[in-house]
Amino acid sequence: MLEEGKKRIWAEYQKAVPDNNYYFVRSCIRQTFFPGSEQAFIRIIRNELGKDIYETPYHTTCTGIGYHSDIIPFETTMTVVARQFALMTEAGYSNYIPSCITSFGLYTEVLETWHHFPEIEAHIRENLWKATKREFKIPDNLSHPSDIFYHFRKNIAEKAKYSLVDIESGQPLNVVEHIGCHYSKMFPGKGIGGAEYPCVLIGMIEAWGGNAIDYPERRHCCGFGFRQYIVQSNRGYSVSCSRKKFESMKPYQPDLILTNCPGCPMFLDRWQYVISEIEGKTYGKNNQGIPVFTYEELAGLILGYDPWELGLQLHQIDCEPLLKKMGIKYNPSEKYLGYNREYIGKPEITKNLFHCC
Amino acid sequence: MNKKVVVVVGGGIAGIEASAFLSYMGFEVVLVEKENTLGGHVLNWEKLFPTMRYGSEVLDFLLQGISPKVNVYTCCEVNSISKKEHQFFVELSNGENFISDAVLVTTGYDLFDARIKEEYGYGIYENVFTSADLEMIFTAKKTLLTKQNKVPLKIGFVHCVGSRDEKVGNVYCSKVCCVTAVKQSIEIKQIYPDSEIYCFYMDLRMYGMHFEHLYKEAQEKYGVHFIRGRLSECFENVDKSILVKVEDTLTGRPLKMNVDILVLMVGFVPRKSTKKIADLIGLENGRNGFFKTKDQHTLTNVSNIPGVFFAGCCTSPKTITNTITDARAAASTIASYLLHHEIDKRTINLAP
Amino acid sequence: MTQYFKTLQEDIRFREGLSACINCGTCTAICAAAEFYQYDPRQIVDIVQSRNELEIEELLKSDTIWYCGECMSCKTRCPRGNTPGLVIMALRTLSQDSGLFIESEKGRQQLAIKRTIGEWILKTGYCVSPELINPEMHPEQGPVWKWEIDNIRTLMKKMGANYQGDGPGALRKIPEEALSELKSIFDITGATQRFEKIENDSSKKAEEMGLKLTDGLDNPYMQYIYKHNSQNHHNNQ
Repeated sequence: MLEEGKKRIWAEYQKAVPDNNYYFVRSCIRQTFFPGSEQAFIRIIRNELGKDIYETPYHTTCTGIGYHSDIIPFETTMTVVARQFALMTEAGYSNYIPSCITSFGLYTEVLETWHHFPEIEAHIRENLWKATKREFKIPDNLSHPSDIFYHFRKNIAEKAKYSLVDIESGQPLNVVEHIGCHYSKMFPGKGIGGAEYPCVLIGMIEAWGGNAIDYPERRHCCGFGFRQYIVQSNRGYSVSCSRKKFESMKPYQPDLILTNCPGCPMFLDRWQYVISEIEGKTYGKNNQGIPVFTYEELAGLILGYDPWELGLQLHQIDCEPLLKKMGIKYNPSEKYLGYNREYIGKPEITKNLFHCC
Repeated sequence: MNKKVVVVVGGGIAGIEASAFLSYMGFEVVLVEKENTLGGHVLNWEKLFPTMRYGSEVLDFLLQGISPKVNVYTCCEVNSISKKEHQFFVELSNGENFISDAVLVTTGYDLFDARIKEEYGYGIYENVFTSADLEMIFTAKKTLLTKQNKVPLKIGFVHCVGSRDEKVGNVYCSKVCCVTAVKQSIEIKQIYPDSEIYCFYMDLRMYGMHFEHLYKEAQEKYGVHFIRGRLSECFENVDKSILVKVEDTLTGRPLKMNVDILVLMVGFVPRKSTKKIADLIGLENGRNGFFKTKDQHTLTNVSNIPGVFFAGCCTSPKTITNTITDARAAASTIASYLLHHEIDKRTINLAP
Repeated sequence: MTQYFKTLQEDIRFREGLSACINCGTCTAICAAAEFYQYDPRQIVDIVQSRNELEIEELLKSDTIWYCGECMSCKTRCPRGNTPGLVIMALRTLSQDSGLFIESEKGRQQLAIKRTIGEWILKTGYCVSPELINPEMHPEQGPVWKWEIDNIRTLMKKMGANYQGDGPGALRKIPEEALSELKSIFDITGATQRFEKIENDSSKKAEEMGLKLTDGLDNPYMQYIYKHNSQNHHNNQ
């Protein structure tokens, strides 16, 4: 593969990412499955980078999952989005940073709709006033937290205690990067690197010492599919999509998968477990799965944060073999301890997937 | 009496043929070409559809018309043009200047830069070529091999690259690419009879005389496969072969396959470097970015500036045959203009 | 005389999603649903642009329009700037507004989504939070998830979350004031109406099918639409 070709494209798809004063909005799925990740993001922004980040308890879901399951009308979603912007305006901020990729795509779609159809924006303002007596300003900037980490990837690298390198061989780790569909497929200009060769995660991987690998199904959806996962009888679609990706990436021998969407790491993690139960097949070495990380988890890891506070014990695929490979110092005995260091029992052992402890 | 002077900007086949006719009609011709040889794009095409004759033969024929009477300036560009009443003051980059009575713009076209179509991986995946790359290999008499120096067993041709595509900003059809793909498929089959060739198309535009015959020959005699589905994306496998994703729309099923070499049929785009001369003279562009002709049916060699004319692909994609015809038409039109023939005074409600 | 095409045209997403299709197939080539289901986004767009009311009605009653995963990969490829995914969203909206969703196995599932995600939004202000992902309804989440649910308070605290607490933080309790504003928005923008329609139409269908439908998730009709798969959706390659 000729990397200069990609670099040319990346140079064309850069976007303005704000340096400070972030208005943070949480993600339903991130909070549910990776609560440590959002905390790590805030901690890194405040403590490592010394920036200002604010969140209000009064914000709600953007209704993105409901919208994409087609139970919520577009007008409702737009009005909820307007309310979210109103809270931001009230708090005196204008850099809107939604943690969820579906949200990011949704906010972009709504802003583009209002931009091209000002009469719809006017109507939504009326709706919002009628329902809540609130008014809003359009954010100056809409960026995803992964854009912010991309923007500061070198600063994070400078403070890092570890890097994406196999300490025994000295070789960079092979990292598969997975971008959430709603990040740049809908509006390529709004994603760093565009829709075809997004580089928001590649930038982080390379800055942190790793080797980003490309493979034929890189762009393929992980399979969330909204209603295709929510309803049990549809889940075959969801697992098939992930399986397609795993089969395609296997020859490239990835050490880990890095994602920027909240849903994707959950699916890529859980579906490996399901495939191991149904087919007995695993995609890492020695019956291991390929560990899947959020970018906040990975940043936290290389900065030396405790893996168990980051929430790595909540992954179905064990991360310890990778931690060992990277030479990360951690306390294995604390994996199954609660907040007060009490032992809280272990999850059941899975049939076919490797367990290290 | 002083001869009338025509400055011809661009030494491709349109400029060559128009210059030849104009000089034999008795006008003083100055032919300006920015490269160091005349010939333009035809220099890089080996065999021409639909006859498979050599492009160099056509070029040699045309050049026989460039008598010593035509003043040829190669490695030269037009630095400035200004109009004073009915004449043009033209300054070349070599310092020479002329007062001319008419200007003929024959600046030609560029090929679409395939790197813009990101999902096709040109410049990223080694075994993705363009039709022009393939033609250069033929012209240089090199052996066609993959970048890993293997004989290709499967070759794919992708139609409509940079044409009929709102995403890259070119809505129009470039006309000649479909028949070029058929031609190149046959040429590869002649080199590698055991290879499998697949053309991925939306429509097969076999509009010209004998084009349909060539298409039939490709199917019957050479066994070229035609799949009606536009390339959606391609990717490089571990072994550097190219994975192609299309829909076979005639059976309504998604299709994935591997090829050893993928050839992108790049279309024509307006030549970027002509912006300079367009600005100098004040030429208008049409909807698709090529120069706008005064009337689409009756005045296709005439520009919006009196005394400035067009020939060749600077106004729209054309075949070599049509370009040569167009050049002769331009010569006639310019002659009528310069000699104040009555025919030049016809009027029509313009449909540009 | 039905007016399906005209109604579709009133949906901004339909207008943005379809100008005119040339049947090139780049959408189907890249579509995740087309790989697994008997689904072809190009054919759907072609049917819709034919403006044939009978064929559009068939689509609205079919399983076909429910196969899409709304990943929007189709948007990246169309050379005419269309988005089959947006056309699908408009079709799904119309299918529910016209009540035709109830005629297909996949369409009937909208009630399951409304009673899980939909009601959760109004109840908690989240689309999804841990209490909604019941390990019994989600065995695919695996044993680690079950362990997490069993120990959720202490684990959340360990991650620095503010589980069901006041003030900011992950998984906080979203204040009542925010929830009542959400309900207000739902009422005036048609979401409440949509929810009611899904309920009412499903109720009629449940009676027709002889399956009992009561509140919540634990009743025969709900369990049926949540779990039943006729197994003839796959495109057997």
